[in-house]
Amino acid sequence: MLRYNFIYELRLLLRSRWIQLLSLLLLVLFGFSTFNGEQKVQKRRSDIAAAKQEVQESDQAMIKLLDSVERGMEVSVPYWTIPTSPMAVGNYYPRVAAMEPQPMSFVSTGQADLFTHYMKPTVSGDDFTLNFTEMSSPVQLLFGSFDLAFVIVYLLPLLIIAFTYNVLSSEKEQGSLRLLASQPISIGKWVFQKLILRFFWLSVLATFSLLATIFLVGIGPFQWGAFLSLLALTLSYMLFWFALAFLVNLFVGSSAKNAVSLIGLWVLFVLLTPSVLNQLGSKLYPMPSRTLMINKMRERKAAATERQDEILDNFLRDHPEYAINDSTQTRSFYHRYMASQEVVKEELQPIVNEYEKQLQKQQTWSKQLQWISPAIVVQESLNQLAGTSTDDYENYRGQVMGFAEVWREHFMSFLYNNQNFSQADYPGLPQFHFEQRKDKSVLTVPILLLMTIVMLCCGLLASKSLKTGKVLS
Amino acid sequence: MISTNNLTKKFGDFTAVDNLSLSVNEGEILCLLGANGAGKSTTINMLLNFIPPSSGSATINGLDVVKNPIKTKEFITYIPENLMLYPSLTAMENLDYFSGIAGKKLTPTQLSNFLEEAGLQTNAFHKRISTFSKGMRQKVGIALALAKDTKVLLLDEPTSGLDPKAGNEFGELLQNLKNKGVAVLMATHDLFRAKEVATHIGIMKGGQLRQQFVADDISLSQLEKAYLDTMNVTEAMP
Repeated sequence: MLRYNFIYELRLLLRSRWIQLLSLLLLVLFGFSTFNGEQKVQKRRSDIAAAKQEVQESDQAMIKLLDSVERGMEVSVPYWTIPTSPMAVGNYYPRVAAMEPQPMSFVSTGQADLFTHYMKPTVSGDDFTLNFTEMSSPVQLLFGSFDLAFVIVYLLPLLIIAFTYNVLSSEKEQGSLRLLASQPISIGKWVFQKLILRFFWLSVLATFSLLATIFLVGIGPFQWGAFLSLLALTLSYMLFWFALAFLVNLFVGSSAKNAVSLIGLWVLFVLLTPSVLNQLGSKLYPMPSRTLMINKMRERKAAATERQDEILDNFLRDHPEYAINDSTQTRSFYHRYMASQEVVKEELQPIVNEYEKQLQKQQTWSKQLQWISPAIVVQESLNQLAGTSTDDYENYRGQVMGFAEVWREHFMSFLYNNQNFSQADYPGLPQFHFEQRKDKSVLTVPILLLMTIVMLCCGLLASKSLKTGKVLS
Repeated sequence: MISTNNLTKKFGDFTAVDNLSLSVNEGEILCLLGANGAGKSTTINMLLNFIPPSSGSATINGLDVVKNPIKTKEFITYIPENLMLYPSLTAMENLDYFSGIAGKKLTPTQLSNFLEEAGLQTNAFHKRISTFSKGMRQKVGIALALAKDTKVLLLDEPTSGLDPKAGNEFGELLQNLKNKGVAVLMATHDLFRAKEVATHIGIMKGGQLRQQFVADDISLSQLEKAYLDTMNVTEAMP
């Protein structure tokens, strides 16, 4: 039966204008979303390149200024920006801490719409309140990004529904089911085979479309593993929807009822569950107010300003290494400011920790319940594959914080030793090197496949007890 | 070949088929006559295991249809009143598909021969079914019976809506199958066609087989009278 089903299902598909249209639509959607995603990645790359170029030009200007000052010449810039002052270098000549897009970033915009992908930490900046949120278009946030992940997670199930909702019911409605049911075959098995063949056909189309998009974007020789992950995720997600369609075809009834049931499941899994989980997460673990945190920070800073001399004395007592090499013992604004900055940071740590802890709880809660909806899991996996997941941005934020600390520490010894910055110190400036996350989840595909197999087995077992009369009526 | 023993089907309080016992042997054609709701189609549906009987049993080639639903269908070809095939496939393709899923692997030559034997014009073999008349589709159904080397042919109002010529051709095809030893059970309203093709005729009413005749032992007018008597209508038809 399989051979005949395969041959004739393929012929029927190829002769159906509806299927031809759906196939064309799939190709167009994959192509357009990849193009769109790649445009965004290119924008990120060019933004980072422009920032790096700006730093390079600024560094050249700094070297020139240092050279002039070291030769005893006068320079025509405000005195507080002259780079012989370590604080001037630390504040006005920062490095770019960039999160470079990964080769598969075009797949999913993920959190890239919300967070910035490069920062320039300064010595006197409040790194613990570094705002990583980027200005976003509210319209874009409302509708999301039209990228490959959007097509796979949101639109592909709709195409599958259009492809599968009436496999059995159309036979009943056009009258050929009675002839089929009079053949020595099991109707459940027949529907199963038809759906497997449609899955195969759609898989070929999806694989071809993904390959075409990959060649369009260009992929390195070591990125084929990532491509295979993308393919495995897409196919296992498709299989999940085909399994749902199998159950609906067997047990629901008319084409209209099947379509409504499948659309209902789409709304449930793709729209409703993520939204409800998000709302519940916010209700159960509400985030403390960021405005409140900033207000408290200002209060602490104001209080610290009033007792800056005392703070500086305490600071130098705690850091004798900064005082012993300094013969001048001169103390300026920055000596007091940087010392009080440390105190403010320590005092605000519990508030920042509370903020981080709630965020962590929210994320842990969402992760535990994400399996309720395969759409969430696949979206998250695609984000991870693209390097645009929340975890990726958390990793980046952590690295930027760490680098900001290194950057500050680098200039602290210059500051408290009252040592000028010179051309010779330039090569020793700390540089930021972004490290990708290594602990990426690999469970999505096997768990999705397991869910699918369970549904298919349930369908096949139940179809054995399915009465032909019930199917025909 | 076809046998029912006290076969009964109830839908709630309504008894559609009531203790029906009949048999059709190889090379016999039993035509079941009766008004709408007499239980003819329900009987065929039970033989196909489309609906389970409430009581009694039915066998095809000695096998119980409820216990062996797949196996019994290997022997059966069913042609409903309106045989619907795949409209975007040709006659050859439809025949290849349905005989294929029934387990018969046939060459294009064999398929052509069966279509020819079923009386389909050669130039229609490779035309899509969407262009076929009802009579042409019924011929593809007969070709399927030939291709499956069927033992039992179940026909549900196969000649309704056919023009006289097509009806006559269909009758000839049934004779051909009968001569090959096929057991045919045909539900129909058409007394004339029943008298012409059947070896046995049964009249059903209220789910019961009220009268049964050997076709050669009764004339058309006697059959008509018996039918009307059974239906409790005594006046002659115009």
